[in-house]
Amino acid sequence: MSQPAVELREITKRFPGVVANDEVDLTVERGSVHALLGENGAGKTTLMNVLYGLYEPTDGTVVVDGRERGFDSPRDAIDAGVGMIHQHFMLVDPMTVTENITLGNEPRRFGGLAVDRERARREVVELSERYGFDVDPDARIEDVSVGVQQRVEILKALYRGADVLVLDEPTAVLTPQEVEDLFAVLAELTDQGKTVVFITHKLGEAMTAADRITVLRDGRNVGSVAADETTREELAELMVGREVLLDVERPATDFGDEVLDVAGLTVTDERGVRAVDDLSLSVREGEIFGVAGVDGNGQRELVEAITGLVRPDDGTIRLEGADLTDRSRRERIEAGMSYVPEDRQEQGLVMAFALVENAILGSQHAPPFARDGRLDWDRAGEHADSVVSEYDVRPPDARTEAGDLSGGNQQKFVVGRELERDPTLLVAAHPTRGVDVGSIEFIHERLLELRAQGVGILLVSSKLAEVQALSDRLAVIYEGEFVDVVDPADTTEEELGLLMAGERPDTTGDPGTDTAERGATEPPEESTGETGTADGSGGGGE
Amino acid sequence: MSVRERGRRALERLVAASAVERALISLASLVLAVAIGTVIILVAGRMTTCDAAAFVLTHPTSVGVPGLFRVGIPELFRMGFCHDPVTVFDRLFLGALADPLSPGWDPLDGQIAVTLRETTVLVFTGLSVALAFRAGIFNIGTQGQMVVGALATALVVLWVAPLVSGVVGAVLLVPFGLLVGAAFGGFYGAIPGALKAYADANEVITTIMLNFIATGVVLFLVSEVFKDPASQANQTVPLPDDALFPPVLFGGRFGFSVLALVFALAAVLALAYLLSRTSFGYDIRTSGVQPQAAEYGGVDARRTIVASMTLSGALGGLAGAVYVLMILGNFETGVPAYGFDGITVAILAGNNPLGVPFAALLFGVLKSGTTVVQFATDVPPQLVGVLRGLIILFVAMPEFFRMLGRRVVPPERGRPTEPGTAATDGGRFRGDDARSADGEQVRGGGGDAVDGPGRDPGGGRE
Repeated sequence: MSQPAVELREITKRFPGVVANDEVDLTVERGSVHALLGENGAGKTTLMNVLYGLYEPTDGTVVVDGRERGFDSPRDAIDAGVGMIHQHFMLVDPMTVTENITLGNEPRRFGGLAVDRERARREVVELSERYGFDVDPDARIEDVSVGVQQRVEILKALYRGADVLVLDEPTAVLTPQEVEDLFAVLAELTDQGKTVVFITHKLGEAMTAADRITVLRDGRNVGSVAADETTREELAELMVGREVLLDVERPATDFGDEVLDVAGLTVTDERGVRAVDDLSLSVREGEIFGVAGVDGNGQRELVEAITGLVRPDDGTIRLEGADLTDRSRRERIEAGMSYVPEDRQEQGLVMAFALVENAILGSQHAPPFARDGRLDWDRAGEHADSVVSEYDVRPPDARTEAGDLSGGNQQKFVVGRELERDPTLLVAAHPTRGVDVGSIEFIHERLLELRAQGVGILLVSSKLAEVQALSDRLAVIYEGEFVDVVDPADTTEEELGLLMAGERPDTTGDPGTDTAERGATEPPEESTGETGTADGSGGGGE
Repeated sequence: MSVRERGRRALERLVAASAVERALISLASLVLAVAIGTVIILVAGRMTTCDAAAFVLTHPTSVGVPGLFRVGIPELFRMGFCHDPVTVFDRLFLGALADPLSPGWDPLDGQIAVTLRETTVLVFTGLSVALAFRAGIFNIGTQGQMVVGALATALVVLWVAPLVSGVVGAVLLVPFGLLVGAAFGGFYGAIPGALKAYADANEVITTIMLNFIATGVVLFLVSEVFKDPASQANQTVPLPDDALFPPVLFGGRFGFSVLALVFALAAVLALAYLLSRTSFGYDIRTSGVQPQAAEYGGVDARRTIVASMTLSGALGGLAGAVYVLMILGNFETGVPAYGFDGITVAILAGNNPLGVPFAALLFGVLKSGTTVVQFATDVPPQLVGVLRGLIILFVAMPEFFRMLGRRVVPPERGRPTEPGTAATDGGRFRGDDARSADGEQVRGGGGDAVDGPGRDPGGGRE
């Protein structure tokens, strides 16, 4: 009941060409959970990196425990009691939980010559008991789930004496059940006087877990509200600056012939797990076939098998009747398959290439960009310029290197390139991920235009609202299988949520829809966790 | 700021350097190398004995303005050195170019021929290594490819030469010889390429081993099967003059032909064109910088590896053919390490074909200048070797660190223009160890940074 745990005063952080944070004030009360909410690119992570000493602010002051601090490095931040848990964990896989937690700060014996393993283990057990963490101190990191790894990260920060814990997108890698567990952990931490700041772009999570919510937009603090005094609508408006209309006009079209026919597709991932299991689907001309599901249920493998990046173990893939199963990626591109990949930075773009060069990625062997093996850079330049202007890529200069664009602009460029390829089939994985609202609408319109032109579209997205609004048929994938294929217009978000949790409409004794509806409001006991999946992903879909 | 962090920042700075900055860095490195070389020459000069000092280090014994006043200063020191650094560097650089600053400069001087001769061969080996580099392959086997190409050229031309004669022979045999060298070198480069593409064998290991195999087999063949019975050395009989590069402008005894240099420069332009303006070059560059994106773009990774290694080997083979048809006139075992020098030439050129001739010229100057220094001074050849190594080391290191740096801080992460986005939407990507915590982008080493504070105190443990 005193001064706030953390106070950021007028923090400004400029990068060449970008103001990531613009005079941001942030006050975090001791013993509270504070959510930092905002869309991708709003400057949340930058702000926290300033607090953690990874970035030096261009202007402004950082106050921790009432004392002004100038953190030069994370070490200073840790000394001041600020600990950060990154989205990707910094753990040593083959080492045990105890070793990871104490790494670098091990209790010593024999005058510092040896690690006092007994004491280390005892301290870790005490620490995890104090905060009610369910962690086996002797388990190896590689053997425990992601949720447990995250708890180990939190324990590591606590072991180093952190009073303020900053979590960057802590839920991004968790299953819905683990998300609930995490929130329980956060509540326990604050009960014991710790302070938590977590970054999220999911409204629902901020509302559920936080005491106060600060919304960042375009690098500015656009409002701080108490979680129990606000509504989702208010937060959403703060986040995007205007009402989000996801009501897409989807005119009825006549579906033509089958464009894509996938039968009995089975894909084993690099871990030897069956990621896609005997799956069949078909996409017709002028149809958007949506695939919804919690990330990591085989969407990526499905898409990569269809587009020719992964070799399936079994099954056939036909494009307009022609068997493409054994065809190379290039042959598939030339057959008229466009592909917006999930991973734009690794796959969709060559980071060190200018946009002009990226504009022909995938078409580098085909007219109009290539003739007799020679490239026509003038044409490539025109094409790049048109994609840049039409899809509002910023900066509007096709000579910019792809790596210099922000994630959202990279995405817009990839989407533009793939949509303008004049495809017969478009495979789009998360086409609007990380893209601003205006561009989302534009991309949706373009998808529907392609649909009207008779292009078959396979749309994979983790945004439930998106697949629901755009798809003519919607398949829900769970552990590599389609749980069901539904008409999105006749299906509620709750029903989809249950399907996404793997609840088959016909596997329980009750009639499918009935179960689904009941489940959403009154979950049956044995499936509580999975209902959480539905909620979590539904909420995550924004 | 820790030493480590400082190092990272320097790397980032180096990776982001522009072309002009890079040229200036190279120049500064050269100056620094000369400065350090001077110290080494002086120290070495103090440690040998000689009749008369070649260089005397002292200071003025009086200051003042002539005619007005002067102040005498007692002589504090006067030190003689057996080697004169000024002469050494003057001979090393200017001597190799036959004194371009003196009024009587003859651009057709024999020493220039020697310099350009070395340059020509190094252009080919440099291109060979640079091309493979651009495809993301570290071809250390250029030396072996050159040796194979050289022997094949000599043997096949010897076999074919009696069949053609006169003017026709002169016109046909040289291109034919080059073709043979390229074909055999290309084949010898394709082997490690195929091993990498289809058996996932590391090309560094395989090319090094293939170098030994090439040298060994060639030694056997030349000493046991194709040896010139009239000679003591392990060499073949001489090729007919028709089959050799005709000396143009320069006299025949320097082993240099302008035609070969022109051919080398044509190869430079062809390769630059290939890389920047053809589909195949696009595939090579894409695979080289981002294999996953190449695969996404329909590039057949295996075919590209084999094709670029074949082409790289062919360039190595051409170096061998030129070596035989221009310099030697037959084949003799003990081919100088042009192939290995090619690695440094390529690094120095930033793996850009257009930079290769300049890098090769620097090497050519140093190689040819070495002999000039030996004629002009009594500095031991070993010391000149040290100076040469020093210069190459200094000039090549910044580029080498740039290459390393791009692995440590890839360009897209090294530039902090994208503050928040990468971190928040990178969450579901795979293989994203570094991209996620974008603190790494600017400060570098989020992983180190986060664990560092804990690890540092325990550093003694390791």
